Amino acid sequence: MTLPRWTREPMVHFLAAGAALFALFAWQGEPADPASRTIDVGLEDRARLALQYERTMKRPPTDAELDTLTEQYVREEVLYREALRLGLDRDDAVVRKRMANKMDFLAQSMAETVEPSDEVLAKWLTDHPERFAREVRYGFDQRFFADRAAAEAALGRLRAGDVVEGEPISLPLSVEGASRSRAAEQFGEAFVGALDAVEPGDGWSGPVASGFGWHVVRLRTREAGEVPPLAEIRERVENDWRAETIARRRDEAYALLRGAYQVTIAR
Amino acid sequence: MAGSRMVATGLALAASLALAGCDGAEREAQRAADAEAAVEIAEFPQQVLWGDTHLHTDNSIDAFGFGTRLGPEEALKFARGDEVTSSTGTKARLSRPLDFLVIADHSDGLGAMRRLYDAPRLLIRDPTLRRWHDMMHESPEQSQRAVAELIDAAATDSLPEAFRDPEGREENMREIWDAHLRLIDRYYQPGEFTPLAGFEYTLMPGGNNLHRVVMFRDGYARTSQVLPYPGLQGPVDDLWDYMDAYEEATGGRTLAIPHNSNLSNGLMFELTDSQGGPMSADYARRRAMREPVVEATQIKGDSESHPFLSPNDEFASFGDAGWELGNLPLTERKADTMLAGEYLREALKRGLSIEQRTGVNPYAFGMIGSTDSHTSLATADEDNFFGKHTGNEPAIEDRALEPQDLGTEVGRFGWHYMAGGYAAVWAKANTRAEIFDAMMRREVYATTGPRMTVRLFGGFDFTEEDWKGDWVRAGYTRGVPMGGKLVDEGKAPTFMVSALKDPEGAHLDRVQIVKGWITADGVLHEKVHDVVWSDMGERPMAGGKVPAVGDTVDRETGTYANTIGAPELRAVWTDPDYREGESAFYYVRVLAIPTPRWTLYDAVRFGIELLPEAMADAVAQERAYTSPIWLGPADPAPRAERQAGWFARAGLRG
Repeated sequence: MTLPRWTREPMVHFLAAGAALFALFAWQGEPADPASRTIDVGLEDRARLALQYERTMKRPPTDAELDTLTEQYVREEVLYREALRLGLDRDDAVVRKRMANKMDFLAQSMAETVEPSDEVLAKWLTDHPERFAREVRYGFDQRFFADRAAAEAALGRLRAGDVVEGEPISLPLSVEGASRSRAAEQFGEAFVGALDAVEPGDGWSGPVASGFGWHVVRLRTREAGEVPPLAEIRERVENDWRAETIARRRDEAYALLRGAYQVTIAR
Repeated sequence: MAGSRMVATGLALAASLALAGCDGAEREAQRAADAEAAVEIAEFPQQVLWGDTHLHTDNSIDAFGFGTRLGPEEALKFARGDEVTSSTGTKARLSRPLDFLVIADHSDGLGAMRRLYDAPRLLIRDPTLRRWHDMMHESPEQSQRAVAELIDAAATDSLPEAFRDPEGREENMREIWDAHLRLIDRYYQPGEFTPLAGFEYTLMPGGNNLHRVVMFRDGYARTSQVLPYPGLQGPVDDLWDYMDAYEEATGGRTLAIPHNSNLSNGLMFELTDSQGGPMSADYARRRAMREPVVEATQIKGDSESHPFLSPNDEFASFGDAGWELGNLPLTERKADTMLAGEYLREALKRGLSIEQRTGVNPYAFGMIGSTDSHTSLATADEDNFFGKHTGNEPAIEDRALEPQDLGTEVGRFGWHYMAGGYAAVWAKANTRAEIFDAMMRREVYATTGPRMTVRLFGGFDFTEEDWKGDWVRAGYTRGVPMGGKLVDEGKAPTFMVSALKDPEGAHLDRVQIVKGWITADGVLHEKVHDVVWSDMGERPMAGGKVPAVGDTVDRETGTYANTIGAPELRAVWTDPDYREGESAFYYVRVLAIPTPRWTLYDAVRFGIELLPEAMADAVAQERAYTSPIWLGPADPAPRAERQAGWFARAGLRG
């Protein structure tokens, strides 16, 4: 099945839905229009009712059941139209919310199922490198002390080339290529922040505070995080693209509708 | 009408596109396999992995009814550290992401509430369902009432037929389960973030909580061959049959994690089998194999210990208040005699007793924590508690004072809820297989939220000297880690234990080793040993007890100071009461210094006044529980034979 491209555009759906809603609202409070009091139940409608029934009951309805369903449908349609005429939809929070949700859903439904091309995703990756970059990795040595003064004293000795082990604690004296999150998990956010403030090759520095106490540190390496090629992280990029596209379409569609309204708010 | 034709067109398009994406699962499986193969497997577990094995999303019938509108995708995003918007509109991001996550939605009526909510009212025939449909659409309060009715109906076995109809249920469940499995495979990043497939089996005879989380080791190709197993009818043996069948048919692996034994009214850890008959060795073996770990702590209370069972343990009452009143919906009050079948320390002891009789220990389980959050948000810390369900997210400012859906009339209130816990897993890599296998060997521990790093090794020749070298390697090569078993060789066991505080959290008060054992006469015993604590010089033991660590919590500002306690506590400890032939277990309990509970943070943040009873409970000592290490004969024979063997070794005649 091929449809013209424009039929896939959410904007078009929105404008059509907007027109339909406009038509509904136009009825309200108007003198009874004979057309609005006409209900045509076509074969298509009957087929839809039968299908719904079949989905629930796992068998097609009998003729009598279909007639009952049709009668129920007509009854609901009549009451629905009369309810609209009386404006019962206007002050019902649930109806308002539900209709608004349906409008949002219209805008986002396409983005939920479409398969983006490699070009689309490659562009997405280029535009948002920070979301997909590998983490910064650190290589460093550290010595732990419960007191600041002891750490300061040790700093002098380490700079002079002495061997200092620090006080016992279950933390590695030397760390190789730990990702930022791994280092933060082990040493805490404050400690990793301090690693960002020094340069590799600066030698021993500190003392640096952590949740445990005080550390003297020597940063040896800091590898900036690179962005992996698309093939390696296609799913992640696609997930991200999809989530954001859904949100954007919803917002754009709303902005379009909102633009047609003049809103005044008393303060 | 133009509108309906347009919607129909949209649906047709969506359907054709969904068909076009069918090879996705295969491509996904290949990607996951490649990524798994690239992950380095350590020789010994080097890094503890943090996760939640018990999270509900809007696919859970009650979570949806309580107002949760976030699905599994948002749950995964939140757990791995992305920002999401909660159902009540608050932006939320986990400052420290999790390493793994099991979304465990209720198998009963999986997605049913959402479908009922979305269903055209016209087609809902059942009057009860139609009423719930209307209530859910009416208001959040009515929606919560509808769920309370539903939990009641489930507990009293009076759910509407449509919720039980096996065929309709199967088709609906297939759809949701399939979509869910594809989703978690897409989010699986071996080495970085691991979602595992699972569901909650909600067995609840008479409202007595026998729930289990069932968790799978495998990806879509295997897990999609089954459906989540419904739990409304027991006995639990049927669940184990289902697990056997899954493993046989697919070559996969699965395990079950019991939780909220504290709400089972004595049924979770019975001395009998599930039918009330004497427990056979086969039954005991099956239970131990199928249920290697138990959730010790979560939002609906803590099940480690109870003062009635452990009168000499001054820390035994943590997380018991409110929950100890009765079963889950409080349809039945609790009698003291039920407690022994509910709390884990006692269950571990019962295990020794059954082992003495049958030769097999059915309750040789490890311990983990989890959230059981129904908000799609896996929060476990006191300062980020997002509520048990969307009806008590932080947007509801006086939630701590609010009556709750489950048994308020008899005294269960918002402040009785805990902030939840996490599962700490000593795995060799962050992959499904390694996490699952670590759980099978019980190399796991529970915390009530703080990310403390706890190691425990048991052996016969550890000394203080070991700390100077690579003591982790020593632990693995000369002993067994938590969850392991030592063979009784006539020598007192020695334990090497280390507890490192959460780098962003509170200092530690003390490390305890809890020992349970059984004497030859079949009598069970327990003893809590303080093995190392902060400032031991200034805090000497008096009358067999270590004095309290103190309390720095400012009740006005909701703050505390790490001016007391220690960043790390470690010790090598030998059991002074060891006697040959007495089977025993040893597990570690770590206590942090007192810190504010979520209720105090709420009171300060929202300027509300807690009732005196809630205020007294607004400061607590967070903790960790490790899986035990067991000590016993290599091949425990039933009692009569074993005694004969022991007499023979001792040169006596039986």
